[in-house]
Amino acid sequence: MKLIRKNSQASGAGSVSVGMPGEAIGRRAFLRRSGLTLGGTAVASMLPATMMRKAHAAEGYAPQAGVETVTRRSICTHCSVGCGVIAEVQNGVWTGQEPDFESPFNLGSHCAKGASVREHGIGERRLKYPTKLENGKWKRLSWDQAIDEIGDQMLKIREQSGPDSVYWLGSAKHSNEQSYLFRKFAAYWGTNNVDHQARICHSTTVAGVANTWGYGAMTNSYNDMHNCKAMIFVGSNPCEAHPVAMQHILRAKENGAKMIVVDPRFTRTSAHADLAVQIRPGTDVAIMWGMLWHIFENGWEDREYIRQRVYGMDEIRQEVAKWTPAETERVTGVPEETVKAAAKMMAENRPGTIVWCMGGTQHTIGNNNTRSYCVLQLALGNIGKSGGGANIFRGHDNVQGATDLGVLSHTLPGYYGLSAGSWGHWARVWETDLNWLKGRFDQAKVVGDGGKEVSPMNYKGIPVSRWVDGVNEDKNNIGQRDNIRCMVYMGHAVNSQSRGPEMKKAMEKLDLMVIIDPYPTHAAVMNDRTDGIYLLPASTQFETYGSVTASNRSIQWRDKVIEPVWESLPDQTILYKFAKKLGFADELFKNIKVDAGRDEPRVEDITREINRGMWTIGYTGQSPERLKAHAEHRATFNTTTLKAEGGPVDGDFYGMPWPSWGTPEMKHPGTPVLYDPSKPVAEGGLTFRARFGVERNGVNLLAEGSYSVGSEIRDGYPEFSDKVLKQLGWWDDLTDDEKKLAEGKNWKTDLSGGIQRVAIKHGCAPFGNAKARTVVWTFPDPVPIHREPLYTPRRDLLPQYATYEDRKRHYRLPTRYGSIQAQDFSKEYPLVYSSGRLVEYEGGGEEQRSNRWLAELQQDMFVEINPKDANDRGLQDGQMVWLSTPEGAKIKVMTMVTRRVAPGVVWCPFHFGGWFQGKDLKDKYPEGTAPYVRGEAANTAFTYGYDSVTQMQETKVTLCQIQAA
Amino acid sequence: MNTRGILAVALVTAAAGLSGCYEDADVTVHEPGKYKGAADPLLSQQASAREEALAKRFQIVQTDR
Amino acid sequence: MARMKFLCDAERCIECNACVVACKNENSVPWGVNRRRVVVLDDGVPGEKSISVACMHCTDAPCAAVCPVDCFYTTEDGIVLHDKDLCIGCGYCFYACPFGAPQYPQKEAFGVRGKMDKCTFCAGGPPADNSDAEYKKYGRNRIAEGKLPLCAEFCSTKALLGGDGDMIADIYRKRVLKRGGRPQTWGWETAYKAS
Repeated sequence: MKLIRKNSQASGAGSVSVGMPGEAIGRRAFLRRSGLTLGGTAVASMLPATMMRKAHAAEGYAPQAGVETVTRRSICTHCSVGCGVIAEVQNGVWTGQEPDFESPFNLGSHCAKGASVREHGIGERRLKYPTKLENGKWKRLSWDQAIDEIGDQMLKIREQSGPDSVYWLGSAKHSNEQSYLFRKFAAYWGTNNVDHQARICHSTTVAGVANTWGYGAMTNSYNDMHNCKAMIFVGSNPCEAHPVAMQHILRAKENGAKMIVVDPRFTRTSAHADLAVQIRPGTDVAIMWGMLWHIFENGWEDREYIRQRVYGMDEIRQEVAKWTPAETERVTGVPEETVKAAAKMMAENRPGTIVWCMGGTQHTIGNNNTRSYCVLQLALGNIGKSGGGANIFRGHDNVQGATDLGVLSHTLPGYYGLSAGSWGHWARVWETDLNWLKGRFDQAKVVGDGGKEVSPMNYKGIPVSRWVDGVNEDKNNIGQRDNIRCMVYMGHAVNSQSRGPEMKKAMEKLDLMVIIDPYPTHAAVMNDRTDGIYLLPASTQFETYGSVTASNRSIQWRDKVIEPVWESLPDQTILYKFAKKLGFADELFKNIKVDAGRDEPRVEDITREINRGMWTIGYTGQSPERLKAHAEHRATFNTTTLKAEGGPVDGDFYGMPWPSWGTPEMKHPGTPVLYDPSKPVAEGGLTFRARFGVERNGVNLLAEGSYSVGSEIRDGYPEFSDKVLKQLGWWDDLTDDEKKLAEGKNWKTDLSGGIQRVAIKHGCAPFGNAKARTVVWTFPDPVPIHREPLYTPRRDLLPQYATYEDRKRHYRLPTRYGSIQAQDFSKEYPLVYSSGRLVEYEGGGEEQRSNRWLAELQQDMFVEINPKDANDRGLQDGQMVWLSTPEGAKIKVMTMVTRRVAPGVVWCPFHFGGWFQGKDLKDKYPEGTAPYVRGEAANTAFTYGYDSVTQMQETKVTLCQIQAA
Repeated sequence: MNTRGILAVALVTAAAGLSGCYEDADVTVHEPGKYKGAADPLLSQQASAREEALAKRFQIVQTDR
Repeated sequence: MARMKFLCDAERCIECNACVVACKNENSVPWGVNRRRVVVLDDGVPGEKSISVACMHCTDAPCAAVCPVDCFYTTEDGIVLHDKDLCIGCGYCFYACPFGAPQYPQKEAFGVRGKMDKCTFCAGGPPADNSDAEYKKYGRNRIAEGKLPLCAEFCSTKALLGGDGDMIADIYRKRVLKRGGRPQTWGWETAYKAS
């Protein structure tokens, strides 16, 4: 069989810029058409007969013979695995990359994205200067002028409509220090309208998991997966999303671990699995309960573990009893033998881990899904064990850190929330007068989510998934003084948000758009504004320094590889310039030194301020000095346990995965596996957190007979406070200085760290020792239940599995459920539409589609469609089609006919942008900044739908129709 | 006669014809597998000189630690 | 004596394309030329497998045998290289190669081929090791620096092995032993003749 190249003309689904040849080898072309050509005529004529020009840019960035080469270390910015990057630099130019063999995470390896990071430093498509749109033309201006003009307009909006009318949209691409500074900045501006993309990636995980056992993070680590006996992946495709994690996963498999993949598609990860379970999209709870049905039926649950460490399993049993094999098959489409085989595999191979990603989280019932995964693991007794755990793979490189540091509309850094006490805590850390802070916010109370009056300062802001409605919705219906009038997008891809046409309308209604990014982004071109867009060039993380938190909670230090390119500036500098213009720089940077010449705040000072305040999750022990020592001695860490064996950081776990309790002087080693009682807390052991009280309806919520090794309290106990210490007679273990700060405080608010120190000295976890809860009585569905998506093809299931009632106010906005599901679109739009990842790209894809090495590998936006559905519509492979959805949006894409998707399901990658409803927007980019590859954004056509707890958008299930274009 | 045979005869004829036209015998003769390009420093170095370094490197790359 | 080889462990290859990008990055390979690529069998259905393919640096390389200008040479440790100054871009080697390795940048319109380009095992070409001239024509010479091809060094799952054939075979044998199944040293029978 011959490998044939795929033609990609300008009329294709994506377009390749002039000056670049039309086609190399589209990987997908291979995938679809090739077998291995042993005979070898081959892959051949991959050269287009069209004009071709050598990529010339590389020449100026070639390594030079005889010139001194310096080596610098950073961390890859493309996903949460945290791969070490070794950069070679000559005369300030990034000339080469070498493997970081010493990193315990990647052992030198990279995926396509990691192997390409040098391009960020030498690429031509970066945004080069501050630029603004004036009379339909892009015009260059200076930084000072830009900050001045933007600041004046913001201050005017603030005066007319209040601080909530300016929205601060941050990023999972910030370093920890930038994230923290960004959240603090929004607080000093006086709004909770601040958020970032964690809202639309794992917000349902954080809410669901934290409400189950204490913290909303990955419990173990990629490396710990070496110890797994079984691994089940649900809506997670690490071969494309976390490729280097596969190194650890395949090692586990080679050690004999069983591997199960639950996904509506037969993914690249499914190809490596022992068992692939293809569910109907949106039936995660059903498949989990279907598996648990077999586990309970056969008595495979861990009864002793449940008795000691789990609350509410009986209520789960009642719900699971409904999920007989027949009902499970009716809802999920998976036959009994497959469900049972999966359950049995997990039961017989313990400890086992569960991994989930956005396939599970991005649903109107995302919080139910994530909690059902937790329940499966609790029933099997798999949490708090090496080789077990809930290994929730986060997406962006610092989405864990940005979440931890509170770039969110519903909390301050460290998950402290927005209550008066939380503000009091942070005002103390910031050494800022609380009353002054209060004065920064809108003063008039508004009607909150529960119908009660609330101060804007204590009221959750509008989440990123809904900013569009914050602009478009009638202002009488929203929980703030006025609509959003200015959007600041700092490291954000708008094409990651659903409802494209509504978004375009919102953009055109805004007074002002400020885009701060290394690239212009889809936001700059998808609207028809002629004025009032500012583009400010931001540096990448390779042009600055600071810390970043990997998915496993390890914190790594990045060195600066090169100076900011063109006129770009690091985020902390940009924030300082804005704070100065807006009048609160002195207050914001009170304890942070700023290099006056460059307006650049000192990053280590920010890290230390983080250390002083983040007691809740133990971001307190990881001082810049310790982080740098870990980076330097990374070769001394064991690649399975992550523990340093000898050397200067002996006994520490790599990157001090949080919680690293107490002060840096306490030298807590970090916690490699959460809730693992087999180690003393001082050495990284832990219990489940006592977060939900001590008793409910007469039932004890504290652990029974389970405690961490060395604990002086040999049973459950509540969280520590000054009062608890006094009761236990441990108060005098505090020093006099500690006592002064600890009086009247608890483990979360004691700025001396003394309460934590003393609790740990006695072998106890500062946050208590409780049961995990399977029933979250504060959520809309206390026991996770299945509900059909708003747009479902299975109307027959609605009587039993209907969605929620509409809500008048949720995160300041009306939120619809039932009124949408009531309408039947399944006849006109019979196909289920889902979305996901490609290995070459990430998020909105602007960076990678502007990276010539990656862009070449993935040139067309496409839709995967089963041969049956293609034939029913008379469609050929590689043909242009319109994909339309019930709310009226349509996108023009290329078909890929494949059995990877089941009949009735179509799937698109979500990384494309630069097209809008059939139009290539190439000419709308500032000169020389259009990405090499552009295509329709999958989310332009995605419809309404938001999680009932977090406002996560539903981007995994809607309905569509496809027809030839 | 098969195609290959015809081709061979044609080539021989052409060669004979050409040789009749030119006196000068100084032409590049194709000798399959005999390298005619510039010298590569890698060739003058004994492979054994780098063998140890490359073996060590391989261990670093492939060791799972 | 060491003999340099490539082996792609199909059980570990996850089609991530790190090898392809590593090559582009390290050797400044222009858009449209792919010294290495990932080929997939049975895409999207059970049994899906992928393999990373480039020049295998064959014993008695067929490319060298057909080259009309004799521009190919083989190092003592088995790396097959060529001299672009001699290459006339005729394309014979492409037809002879069982792996489809040779590539030809299109120099200008009307289909004129440029000089052949292929994987050098990161060993450059005839000009002085790691000189500017060598980098421009062939890319980096890692071998001269005591390093191995970057595609194999970067491989996300250590599926692609590049180095001495005996060491590769040793690692691969251990893996097969551990996970069971039959060894599938794809391409080796075609590329490497017993010495």
